[in-house]
Amino acid sequence: MKYTRRELLKMAGAGAGVIALGGLGVNYLVTESYAKKLKIKGAKEVISICPFCSVSCHFIAHVKGGEVVSTEGDPGYPVSEGALCAKGSTMLSMINSDHRVLKPLYRAPYSDKWEEKSYGWMIEKVARRIKDTRDKHFITKNAAGQKVNRLDAMFHAGSSQMSNEEASIVVQAQRAMGIVNIDHQARI
Amino acid sequence: MPSGYHITEADMSKTFFIDTSRCTACRGCQVACKEWQGFPANKTTQLGWGSHQNPPDLNCFNYKVVKFSEFKIKDRVFWNFFPDQCRHCTEPPCKIAADAHVKDAVVIDKKTGAVIFTERTKKISKGGFLQMKEYCPYNIPRRNEKSQIINKCDMCLERVEAGHIPMCVKTCPTGAMSFGEREEIVARANTRLAVVKKEFPEAALLDADSVRVIYLITHKRDQYHNNAMMEKPLKDASPA
Amino acid sequence: MTNHWIDIKNTDCCLIIGSNAAEHHPICFKWVIKAKEERNAKIIHVDPKFSRTSARSDVHIPLRSGTDIAFMGGMINYILANNLYFKEYVNDYTNAAFIVGPGYSFNNGLFAGFDPKNKIYNKKDWQFELDEKGNVKKDPTHQNPRCVIQVVRQHYSRYSIQKVSDITGVAPDVLQKAYDAYAATGKPDKAGTILYALGWTQHTVGVQNIRTSGIVQLLLGNMGVAGGGINALRGEPNVQGTSDHAILYNILPGYLPMPRANMPTLKDYNKLTTPVSKEPESVNWWQNRPKYMVSLLKAYFGKNATKENDFGYDWLPKLDVAKSEHDGDASYLYFFDRMYRGELKGGSIWATNSANTLPNTNKNRKALANLDFLYMAEIHQNETTEFWHGPGVDPKKVKTEVFLFPSCHRAEKEGSISNSGRWALWHNKAADPRGKSRPMGQIMIDIMKEVIDLYEDEGGKFKEPIVNLNWYRKYDAELVSKRINGSFTSGEKKGKQLTGFTDFADDGSTASLCWILAGSFTDEDGNKLKRRSLLQTPMQKSIGLFPNFAWAWPMNRRILYNRAAVDKNGQPWDLARAVIRWNGTEWEGDVPDGGAPPMAKKGGKSPFIMLKDGLGQLYGTGLVDGPLPEHYEPVETPVRNHGFSGQLSNPCAKIPTSDLDIIAPPADPNYPIVLTTYSMTEHWCGGSETRNVPSLLEAEPMIYVEMSHELAAEKGIKNGDPVIVESPRGRVEAVAMVTVRITPFRIQGRIIHLIGMPFAFGWTKKGIGDATNRLTLWAGDPNTSIPEYKACCVNIKKADKVTELA
Repeated sequence: MKYTRRELLKMAGAGAGVIALGGLGVNYLVTESYAKKLKIKGAKEVISICPFCSVSCHFIAHVKGGEVVSTEGDPGYPVSEGALCAKGSTMLSMINSDHRVLKPLYRAPYSDKWEEKSYGWMIEKVARRIKDTRDKHFITKNAAGQKVNRLDAMFHAGSSQMSNEEASIVVQAQRAMGIVNIDHQARI
Repeated sequence: MPSGYHITEADMSKTFFIDTSRCTACRGCQVACKEWQGFPANKTTQLGWGSHQNPPDLNCFNYKVVKFSEFKIKDRVFWNFFPDQCRHCTEPPCKIAADAHVKDAVVIDKKTGAVIFTERTKKISKGGFLQMKEYCPYNIPRRNEKSQIINKCDMCLERVEAGHIPMCVKTCPTGAMSFGEREEIVARANTRLAVVKKEFPEAALLDADSVRVIYLITHKRDQYHNNAMMEKPLKDASPA
Repeated sequence: MTNHWIDIKNTDCCLIIGSNAAEHHPICFKWVIKAKEERNAKIIHVDPKFSRTSARSDVHIPLRSGTDIAFMGGMINYILANNLYFKEYVNDYTNAAFIVGPGYSFNNGLFAGFDPKNKIYNKKDWQFELDEKGNVKKDPTHQNPRCVIQVVRQHYSRYSIQKVSDITGVAPDVLQKAYDAYAATGKPDKAGTILYALGWTQHTVGVQNIRTSGIVQLLLGNMGVAGGGINALRGEPNVQGTSDHAILYNILPGYLPMPRANMPTLKDYNKLTTPVSKEPESVNWWQNRPKYMVSLLKAYFGKNATKENDFGYDWLPKLDVAKSEHDGDASYLYFFDRMYRGELKGGSIWATNSANTLPNTNKNRKALANLDFLYMAEIHQNETTEFWHGPGVDPKKVKTEVFLFPSCHRAEKEGSISNSGRWALWHNKAADPRGKSRPMGQIMIDIMKEVIDLYEDEGGKFKEPIVNLNWYRKYDAELVSKRINGSFTSGEKKGKQLTGFTDFADDGSTASLCWILAGSFTDEDGNKLKRRSLLQTPMQKSIGLFPNFAWAWPMNRRILYNRAAVDKNGQPWDLARAVIRWNGTEWEGDVPDGGAPPMAKKGGKSPFIMLKDGLGQLYGTGLVDGPLPEHYEPVETPVRNHGFSGQLSNPCAKIPTSDLDIIAPPADPNYPIVLTTYSMTEHWCGGSETRNVPSLLEAEPMIYVEMSHELAAEKGIKNGDPVIVESPRGRVEAVAMVTVRITPFRIQGRIIHLIGMPFAFGWTKKGIGDATNRLTLWAGDPNTSIPEYKACCVNIKKADKVTELA
């Protein structure tokens, strides 16, 4: 049951002395501050960009002791002017998520589990698989006998999550391997 | 009405204006609030619920929840959004209720007028909490069953004191939310109401005189999420 | 986007079609609302579902998914039949007067030159008629029945309001009001913008959907102007940039076509890919293509690229020639098909959740298990990284060796990304990558370094492109950014950064990883992607151009085709919204499209400098499936005929043929309901990042299916009930969301229901549901191979028992 404001005031006025409306007024206000400590006080501000839709809203990461402690919209980006949507508002949780993959993982053929491996081990093994596959399957001519110099047996499904610089690097490497099966979210 | 009821100092205090005609329910405010407060998520489900309004209501980990209401008028579909939160009443009934039980469990910040639930709310009995809930015309107070603290929107007081605006307002993309000195905000709300009324004759400001969170709605109150959660306008109420 | 986000505020009419901007680009909507409030702009939302975008629009027009060309064709017809087009603009800046060759025809849904066996057109008969000098024949009076505007008029004369209404399900009076409102922008002092997104591209007529907007915008004089343009709201975080840099099979960086098997030498490549125009006023910018290609090869192979070895052109792979709809297509659609057939051995999936987001998921999940090895970079585990022990999969039977590198969050690395308006924006590193995660750029550098070492040590097959690669030691975004801009490699300017396009040469003296970004990183100004100045001239300020914030390709131009925003004397069509202006000696405002003076002056050039003939193409020969858009039904459709022709679906659609590519016949009573799929505000695409953010999962916790009250009543389904949705390809459990926001469509006199589902949910998060894309089909647009996610046919029933929903 909800009361209207007027009903409430009426009720309170008749409240068996529990609450005396006449006692309101200036005394009603409490002078001390109840604010919590501002968690971003003294933090370094670093500007990054939300990794989702192509509006590319900028956000400020508040950094203390090398850790991101808070994130909020960057008013300096004239498109978003400090605003963020539901996704953009969660940069802090996203960066600090305990669900993130933080170690290189390997799953052997027919195995039912991941194994932790060193980064160097992973790099070596992947490079070896690439080389062996390429050496075995690289073709210089297609069925029509035309020169094609390509590797049809491998592919790269890439990502618009990459920065421009990363995309440039990845494409250069894939093309050098002779890979033509290349695609990413621009096509889906 | 008893004399001394109106607190002139509070009129100089801070006020929010929430213009629902501009809200796109992106829920930036709902999530940014949670993120700023560092609250955990509630387990929600669509089974038996089937709505975008999640969590279904305010709770001790959601000071702000965007409420959705859809309906048809003569084949035209409307979908109204209402970012619900504590209104920071100028004379908060929750304080009236709380004061009867534990002094200073609910306080008002002098500079801003923010209604603050302090840690002392822990000491409020179950009955006292129920009374606070009953007194609140907007069904705002919630209790964290584990810590026993009763909580709700705190106006991001620490941000406001440091010269920042509350997180929900900061996050809002469309200008649906603004925050500032009461006088300025009330003027803005009235100006905007006049404009919106041209398209929506039923548009109104909700309880502008008695709250520090003034909503502009475009349709009748019962065309929003749940009219039981909103107070009827004073003029509709029976005389005292 | 031809324009940019802020520019939306300058519009008088915003047609949002094939986009749910408020939900999928939430922050951009502030500019839509600004246009509405400050300019009294009309906001029209055309979409099957009433969404948060519709809620803030003046009108929502629900149309059956897959009938956009009918809707837009009706508009073209309305504009032409009622003489509502902007005549001066159409006369001066479009190919309206060009005369189409006598071989052109359009009969019963097919254009001239169709080869049904190979599902391709021979475009010979679509070409323009040339005079003896090789120039296009024109009729400035527009009387010749074969001149473009007459051909267009004739083609769309069939798109009457009644006919359009019949197939789209939109009432005739609603169509007329919308056409009137949008056509009102065909005046010099009015501007209309079209915002589209994946709702247009994800159809087997995707590119032709967009072509309709090209025709409308040219007819109304809306290209190049502030508040106008064709604005693709790019669907992904950096999909503009990653397309610029060509993570795509068919192009090299800077939109250079990928070499094909009929181009064995660089000379062949240049000859076959470089357009030649004899139109004296055409800039024909792509005539510079050889310079960009050689500069890319120089950037790829450094000093090892020499004139003698064709700059290493031989080292680039070549695609097969497209002799049929599928030849030489190495897109997702076909390489997943080949993977399913066991023809692929290994590869990489980086930061994309293919086992959830690609269509016909059941096929794709099986395909992955045919690989010998797979190496991935991801920030979270998802349905792709864990495919080897997914539902119904016995890991002991999956041979695939899987390597998973943890990649870091954007805030843990620096670099640039490009927003939808082509602004290349720098982001800084806030903290070190957590754990052992690394930037994807670093991981690629390390793998390739190791591959190079292996080839150097052991030799191997065709090792030249690998050992000659101009490679990196470590990931340094600033260095890559510098190389993207490019530099002089010889001569007196050796080592100096290029300042712009005119510095490029085809003799190997310049190198650039992506020519379109030349000018972004110069010796004089440094890395302009980092600029954060809000400084504008009053003219720039009046339209919110922000030329000193970051940098936009090409040459920091903020509105493409801006030469069409002025009359032949260089004066703005609308002074209050001027983009550029000729002050008698030079251009003011935005960076103009080419430096030539206005068309009426000596040396003046046509405005559309990237097009061969310099004029906007009302009729264009560039696409593979027709010179004009024509309505075809989706590959899977609830109707048997559509009334525009006897050709039901796009004759050139790309459809793989494996045993799992099952498609329901037209109007199949077993699958009578149209399904459309979409993204969400609270989750990102396949969902692996956002599902793992508790507050977002709290806001949208579970897979749902939105449906009308009418359909729910028919099927005995109540809001919140678990339901099963089935297509010929799969079965998905979801929760019913019964809503007034979806209404049944009246099509050809009968009711057709449509339902909508998000695709962000997957089994790796327990109890929230699994891939919606188990229902969708692999059928691609003939031009882009983009799959038809937006329309397929399904059925729905109340579930007695569910296993995927906790």
